[in-house]
Order: sequence, then C-alpha cells, then structure tokens
Amino acid sequence: MSTPTVPVQTDAPPVPLHGGLRLLRNLVPYVLALVLAFLVSGVVMAVLGYDAVGAFTTILSTSFKTTFGFTETLTKWVTVVLLALAFTIPLAVGRFNIGGEGQLLVGGTAAAGVGIVYADLPAALLLPMVLLAGVLAGLVWAGIAALLMSRFGVNEILSTVLLNFVSFQVLDYAATEVWADPAAGVAATQTVGESAELPVLGGPPGVHAGILLAVAVSLASIVVTRRTAAGFELRAAGTNPRAAAINGIRVGRVAVVALVVGGALAGLAGAIEVSGVHGRAIEGMQANYLLLGIIVGLIARGNALWVPVVAFGISILEVGASSMQRTVGVPAEMVLIIEALILIFLLLSDVIAGRIARRAVA
Amino acid sequence: MTEFETLAQLTVIATVPYLLASLGTMLGGLAGVFSVSQEGVMVLGASVGFLVSYGVGSNTVGILCAAGVGAVFGLVLGWATTSLRLDQFVIGLALFFAATGLAGLLFRVVVGQSGAQPLIETLPRLEIPLLSEIPVLGTVLFSNNLLVYFAALVAVGLYFFLYRTRAGLDLRAVGENPKAADSLGIPVARTRIWTATAGGALMAVAGAYLPMVYTGTFTEGIVGGRGWLAIALTFFGGWRPQFIAAGALFFAAMDVIALRAEVGNVAIPSQVLLVVPYVATLLVMIFAFRWARVPAFLGRNYDRESRTA
Repeated sequence: MSTPTVPVQTDAPPVPLHGGLRLLRNLVPYVLALVLAFLVSGVVMAVLGYDAVGAFTTILSTSFKTTFGFTETLTKWVTVVLLALAFTIPLAVGRFNIGGEGQLLVGGTAAAGVGIVYADLPAALLLPMVLLAGVLAGLVWAGIAALLMSRFGVNEILSTVLLNFVSFQVLDYAATEVWADPAAGVAATQTVGESAELPVLGGPPGVHAGILLAVAVSLASIVVTRRTAAGFELRAAGTNPRAAAINGIRVGRVAVVALVVGGALAGLAGAIEVSGVHGRAIEGMQANYLLLGIIVGLIARGNALWVPVVAFGISILEVGASSMQRTVGVPAEMVLIIEALILIFLLLSDVIAGRIARRAVA
Repeated sequence: MTEFETLAQLTVIATVPYLLASLGTMLGGLAGVFSVSQEGVMVLGASVGFLVSYGVGSNTVGILCAAGVGAVFGLVLGWATTSLRLDQFVIGLALFFAATGLAGLLFRVVVGQSGAQPLIETLPRLEIPLLSEIPVLGTVLFSNNLLVYFAALVAVGLYFFLYRTRAGLDLRAVGENPKAADSLGIPVARTRIWTATAGGALMAVAGAYLPMVYTGTFTEGIVGGRGWLAIALTFFGGWRPQFIAAGALFFAAMDVIALRAEVGNVAIPSQVLLVVPYVATLLVMIFAFRWARVPAFLGRNYDRESRTA
C-alpha cells in the first residue's frame, strides 16, 4: 500500500502570505466549517422536531455555567489531547495510529497493577511509577505494531486496530482474574493505593494534576515538531519520504519512533484516567476517546499547535452533549454528527480554497 | 444435528458479515478507492435495517433500505476522492464518524429513549429443495437464511466478473494504473465511483445482517469491530474474492470456536480464547504481507492532469 501523503492537503500551490493575513486565511475555513456544521445540524434537529437553539445553547454553555461543568471539560481535555497527539504524531509521518484506545487500556491496566501491588509506597515514589508503567505499557503496545510494520510490512492501521481487541481482553483478565473487585458492581480492578492517586488542584471539585502533564506534553510536542531536528525529520519524512530518504533521514525509523511515542502518550492517558479519574481500571473507560482523538487530530490538520485548541473545543461539545440529552432531549449522538460535519466542511473548504487560489494564480 | 454440524452451521452464519463487508472493501479497493468507514457504515446499516424492518414489518425492505443508505455513503466517498480528490483516509474516517453518529441518532429518534427494547423477526431459514437433503452438507450449507446464499452468490459473481470478463479487467486496470486505463478510454472516475457505491451498499447489508440474524434488535456495539476486521480480512485475502471467502470462513470459525470454548468450561482463561482470532490474524498478516498483492493505486487519487502519477 502506498504511504498516504500528509493529510488534508490540497493541491493548491502555496501562496506566500505574511503574519496576520496567513492567520486569517487559515482561520476562514475553520469559521466557515463551524458555521455550516451548526447550520446543517440545526436544520436536522429542527426537522426532527427538537429545539435546535436550546440544544446549541446547552452544548456551548454547559462548560462555562458551573465550576463543575468547567472542571469536567478540563478533565476530558486531558485525555482527549493526549489521544489526539497519539494520533497526530504518527500522522506526521503518514502513519495512522488507530490503536489509541488499546494503548490507553493497557496503559491503564499496567498503571492500576502497579498502584495496587505497591499500594504501600509513599506517593513521591509510587505516583511516578504508576505513570511510568502506563507510558511503558502504551509504548510496548504500539511497539508491537511498529515492529510488525517495519520488519514485516504489516499495515499499521490493521495491527493497531487488532491490538485494540486484544487489549480489551488484557483489561478483562486483570479486572476479573488478577485484581478483581467483585464489590465494584462493574468489571473493574480494585482501587489503587491512595498514594497512587494524582493530587487534585483547586476546587472543590478541582482538576487532577494530570492536566499539568497534558499541558507539558502539548507544549513539548509543539516545540519538538516545530523547533528541533527530530521534528524536522518527522515532518520531512511525512511530506516527501523520498526526498527525506535521499537526504539521509531514515524514514522507516522515524515512522517507528513516531508510532511508539504516540503509543506512550496514549498509555500515559490511560494511567492518568486510572490515577486521576477512576482510581482503578474499569472496563469501558476508553469511552469514545479513540474517536475524539482522531477527530481532533484531523480537524487540527495534524498541526501540534492547533491540537490543544481543537481538543478544548471538542471537550466542550462532549460535555455539552450529555447535558443536552438531559435537558433538551436531543440524543447525545447529535454531537458526533456535528463533529463529523465540522471535519467534512473543513475538507470541502480546503477544496474551494484550492480552486480560488489556483484561479488567483492563473 | 451433531456437534460438528452445529459448529459448521454457526460458522457459515458468522461468515456472512465478514464476507460481505470485505467484498465491499475489495470492490472499491480494486478500483483504487480504499474505504476506512466500514465500521460506521455497518453500524448505520444495522440501525437502518433494523428500524425499517421494525416500522414496515419486512426484513427485505429493511435490507434494501440499508443497502441504499450504504450506497449513499459509498457514493460520497467515491465522489470526494475522484472529483474533489480529498485524502481517502481522512474523508473515510469522517464518513465513519458521520455514519456512527447517524446510526445512534436515528435509533434514538425512532425508538425514543425509553427502556423498552423493540424486536424484529430474525430471518427465517430457507431450505433449498433436494440440496438440503444431502447429509451433513445439506444442513450446513443449504438450509440457511437468505443472506447466506446472497453472500455466496456475490462472492462467486464477483470472482467471475473480475477475472473472467472484460469489464472486470478494465475495473482492475483502474486500480493498478489509472493513467494507462484512462488512455485506453476506460472511464476512471466513473469506475471508481460506482465500485465505491456498490461497496458501501455491501458493507451496509453486512451490518443489517447482524440484527436480522443474531439479536433481533439494535445496540450501539452490535458491529463490535467487524468493520475494522473486514479491512484486515481484505488484505489477508489479497484483494481476491476466493481468498477473502476463505479468510472470512477462518475468522468466523475462530469466533465460533472461541465462544464455544468459553461456554464449554475449558481450562484456559476465556480471555486467551477470545484473543485468538486477533492474534491469529496478526500472525497470518506477517506471512500474508509477503505474498499479498495489493492494487498498486490503492488509497491514491487520480489526477488526469498530473504528470507525476
């Protein structure tokens, strides 16, 4: 199979623009896509007989009306942004990591395991161990796919997806056989030791300290992809593998590293879910984070700078979704459609922008 | 029925969704359009198929409507990747999200958010006269539901179409070397669009099969990753109907055996058994990728005016 080129590229010749003008040109498609997505979904809701205005008001305001809503949004953002980076970093080399949820689950399982077994250790020691366990597990999980890709040419979409299914059983084994907690009511491991839990900032209700990690990781990935040699190799290998190879970049190795780093971040997300949110590994804790990570990565066009921003927007929509279902009665699935529409309109606006640019050049 | 006959028949029944979804993937892929929205289109097919059957009272109408909706998604994919030349993976994933959301939304809107779970009739078993009288083979192969026969017909039909007709050769040429095909007057864009459309329809029927044969109702997790597995299976089968059919049987057999062993109190943890199909697939992939032929232009968009591709 051919290596896909960098996503969401148009065939428009790049028009050199400066500063504000470039930002404006980049923003116009986003604004258009947002407006159109809300317009279309609003019409759909109206046709179905729902109160579209009420639905949008709820979706957009829930995160800002109460402290609880805002902390919920921030908590969601942590996992979404990590999963989005887990998708975006391999994407920069043209690799699709569809295994974020598997990497999250094994990361969470490993973190819970360490947190349960060494529950008596002091927090200063245990907390880093728990997080590291998650990172390593995610790294290994993506590493399997990376190995299959580089050694045997197995398509990474397939291997990462298949490993998701394996990870469900890994967690199930841990939650029903190894560290089962029959009193939990759901399939879940026992709770981790208190010193394995991330401290809560601010509040109540407050946000767990994982948000600091997520911010640090986001900043680091912006700096690394845009300002370092490694980041340059990453982007070069993705934009033009052949030219990169000729210039001495080992494209295959870059792809492996990118995939493994992505897995490590998803594993970290799993560890944070365990030690910051649930206090244990629960089956189904992956929720729809894989989907959200992919959507964020694609809407951000794989740009590390945009990922945290888009992730915040998507978190607002997601937190608003459930409250919309409660208050206005619109099924929460509507939000997934809105997100898909944003992405589709963004793609279409690229096409239109490309045509306009070509006309301007001609 | 003996134990073997039961298992064999369950395997045949479980083969259908894999087979239809993979054949749909293959059809578009042979013309160069690589769909990654199977999972979503299948969920949508399951939702639409179920809802229409529930509303109209006819499974056939349900299947046809599901196929129609799947065709629309395939058409959009085909159009977006030929006329607009959008990245196939990105638009495919976008359609996956849209289809998944739409499936859940339609179900909630029609059925409401009440707890009561509506049910439809599952597809009846059709015994083919004479053939179903054959011992063992008769029960396993010739007394199944309609879609089992349909899937088999599609597989055989596609094999003959693709490898025994001129039109099939033309189709494969589009996926191998669209520029050469174009220069011979083969309508590249039209071929890519219709194969993607038909492929989408097949995926949706594969989805509609699930509530109509297994559960009698729709749940959000009903497809359970079969769509993603269909992609794996298509690679596994080297993009040829005959090997895809064999692979689908293998996947189905793995499913059935794992479930059987889980129920049957075998001394291995059930998780290990449930993992077997996926690990086995990964292992086979390692070898399959050495010989599997992939359409040369798979996943790429054709630009008639371009000088490089």
